[in-house]
Amino acid sequence: MNASPFANLNRRQLLQLAALVGGSAALAACGGPAVGEAGGAATDKATDWTTVTPAKEITWWSNHPGTSKDLETELIKRFTAETGIKVNLVTAGANYDEVAQKFQASTGSSNVPDLVIASDVWWFRYMINGQILPLEALAAHLEMDTADFNTTLYNDYEFGDSHWAVPYARSTPLFYYNKSVWKKAGLPDRAPKTWAEFDEWAPKIAATSITPLGLGKGTSWSAWWFCNMLWGAGGAYSKDWTLTLDTPEALEAAKYLQKIVYEDKSAAVTAKDQVADFGAGLTGCTIASTGSLTGLLDAAKFDVGTGFLPEGAKGVACPTGGTGLAIPASKSPEQQLAAGMFLKFLTNAENTAYFSSNTGYMPVRTSAVEGEAMKAVYAEKPQFRTAVDQLATTRVQDWGRVFVPNGDKDLTTAIEKIMLQQADPTEAFATAAASITKSYEENVLPYL
Amino acid sequence: MVPQRKRRTPWKSWLLFLAFAGPNVALLIIFTYKPLIQSLQYSLLQWNIGSATARFIGLDNYTNWFSDPATANVVRVTVIFTVFTVGGGMVLGLSLALLLNRKLRGTGLARTVVVAPYVLSGVAVGLLWLFVFDPNFGILGAVLKAVGLSSPDWYNDPQWALPMLIVVYLWKNVGYVALIYLAALQAVPRDLIEAATLDGAGAWACFRNVVLPLLGPTTFFLSVTTLLSSLQSFDIIQAMTQGGPLEGTTTMMYQIYQEGFATGRAGYSSAIATVLFVVLLIITAVQMLVVQKKVHY
Repeated sequence: MNASPFANLNRRQLLQLAALVGGSAALAACGGPAVGEAGGAATDKATDWTTVTPAKEITWWSNHPGTSKDLETELIKRFTAETGIKVNLVTAGANYDEVAQKFQASTGSSNVPDLVIASDVWWFRYMINGQILPLEALAAHLEMDTADFNTTLYNDYEFGDSHWAVPYARSTPLFYYNKSVWKKAGLPDRAPKTWAEFDEWAPKIAATSITPLGLGKGTSWSAWWFCNMLWGAGGAYSKDWTLTLDTPEALEAAKYLQKIVYEDKSAAVTAKDQVADFGAGLTGCTIASTGSLTGLLDAAKFDVGTGFLPEGAKGVACPTGGTGLAIPASKSPEQQLAAGMFLKFLTNAENTAYFSSNTGYMPVRTSAVEGEAMKAVYAEKPQFRTAVDQLATTRVQDWGRVFVPNGDKDLTTAIEKIMLQQADPTEAFATAAASITKSYEENVLPYL
Repeated sequence: MVPQRKRRTPWKSWLLFLAFAGPNVALLIIFTYKPLIQSLQYSLLQWNIGSATARFIGLDNYTNWFSDPATANVVRVTVIFTVFTVGGGMVLGLSLALLLNRKLRGTGLARTVVVAPYVLSGVAVGLLWLFVFDPNFGILGAVLKAVGLSSPDWYNDPQWALPMLIVVYLWKNVGYVALIYLAALQAVPRDLIEAATLDGAGAWACFRNVVLPLLGPTTFFLSVTTLLSSLQSFDIIQAMTQGGPLEGTTTMMYQIYQEGFATGRAGYSSAIATVLFVVLLIITAVQMLVVQKKVHY
């Protein structure tokens, strides 16, 4: 039997083989980012849109927020009937983060979509990476009525005098309460106006043998609803790029959170899903997305009441969330124009009302809020009206959370240390602030 | 005496070698060496994964990782997870294999039951066990309540979340260890055991001095494969805890994913991947040295 060729390899042959393998690998390693070249946001290339013919076919990456695949398919059908442009709907992930991961990884490949979901914590990263197009010129060419967008929702996507996305499936946190529990506790049929009033009501709710308030956890969530307590106390995560977690107001908000969890025991952090806990009757009230409204109304075996988030000592405070739509910068003008036409169609008054009434997300145009479609929804589900009315109280989010990579994650860790481990708020926030500042300096500042 | 010149390998043998090995070598280059070298290259860059450009920053990603206060926790979690899943898996797997090696009724079915979880998808296993551990609705909570105990807060307490993951990982993977050990046990010559028994060795002495040394090569093989698999485990963590609560289940492998894709710091993530690669290389080299000295074939 012949021995293996390897058995007879001398040192020189072994080195030759190693060089062959190594050299091939080195050749294969070509590619990746251009090192040393200036990066940053894409610029408006001054495309003369009047000379561009829209592409016949485009691709849209979505996660179908609010289980909206059928709705999106229907909207595509209507768009194609109107324009003749075919839209390929791709399920690019189960949530915003998964879509974002795929979209970022697609850079430089031939798989970049023509239109992509751009959530409140992701669009800025797309922008500084130069992945998306500033929309002013295209919107003007398409005569898109941007003034009709809800101002807060539209300005969430503004940076450097440009808008980089438009609102699509947008939500706010909402206060949900169990009307049966409220009745049993002898409370008026409404949400508490302030956190001080909640503190007064909590013992009465607890007396019905139920945890008064269920709080959510996890990234994209804890630091979102905590905006309400933080802003209500007069604090903020950041002012522009400067972290403000060490202010007395921010620390006061954190201490209040600890008080209701550990001292008053009027709030408990969910094991898994605070919406499921509330729907199952484990908690008397909770803070959840407006996007959960339709599902909760269908699933709960009790009457669900909704109200504005409670005010803090410094007044009303409500963040916005959800996702917008952005157009990749690397596509051809023809594809970008077709994507722009579809984007305009998806977010027009009629279609935003259609999407909103079937999911629970906000109508993103002010003209849609009082339209016939939405009026029918308010008549059927009065709770929805509260969610829409609360839009007027919203404000744009703090940059430290939504614009800095890891911002939301570091804040979530701090808030969860505070509410799950009774950690010292000063220390937990200081750790988060140091990490976010470092991330800003490394991952944002060089690209601005 | 003049040394005899070694006979050169005939060119036909080389051609044959290339014909057989070529496709594999090509696949290795494309899917193993290329990513490995690219990862090393990226680890020296400050690169947001979605960006077409990057900056060369030397070893900053490495110094940042080693000086990050979070690193100690990630290493601690990785070590605990690895020690318990590898050590626990080997002990449990061997115990199960010894049981399954007995000639009893129903061992065929028992073998299938033990091995079945190994072929299931990690995500499916994770989701399934989430229902079991759920403090409010899970069967485990109900059982504990029935005996007057309250359920630990598996999902919110990092001290409990990691043991939960270890239990699920063991449940899924112990069948693999048991299967390999079972095959090795069946290859142990009966006459050696009979001879030892005739010499007066009890069951334990027989196992300790005859069976266990003969299982040496299998133990070595399993220690390498289960260690690599444990250090690279991702699916169960992603399905059950996503590295939380409070990063209490963030292993190095999970951190690589989080930093690379969730945070988008591709350079930093590549640096951690390189560190993990070097650690694995060292551990495997040490194992190889041990096997040469201690394991008897």
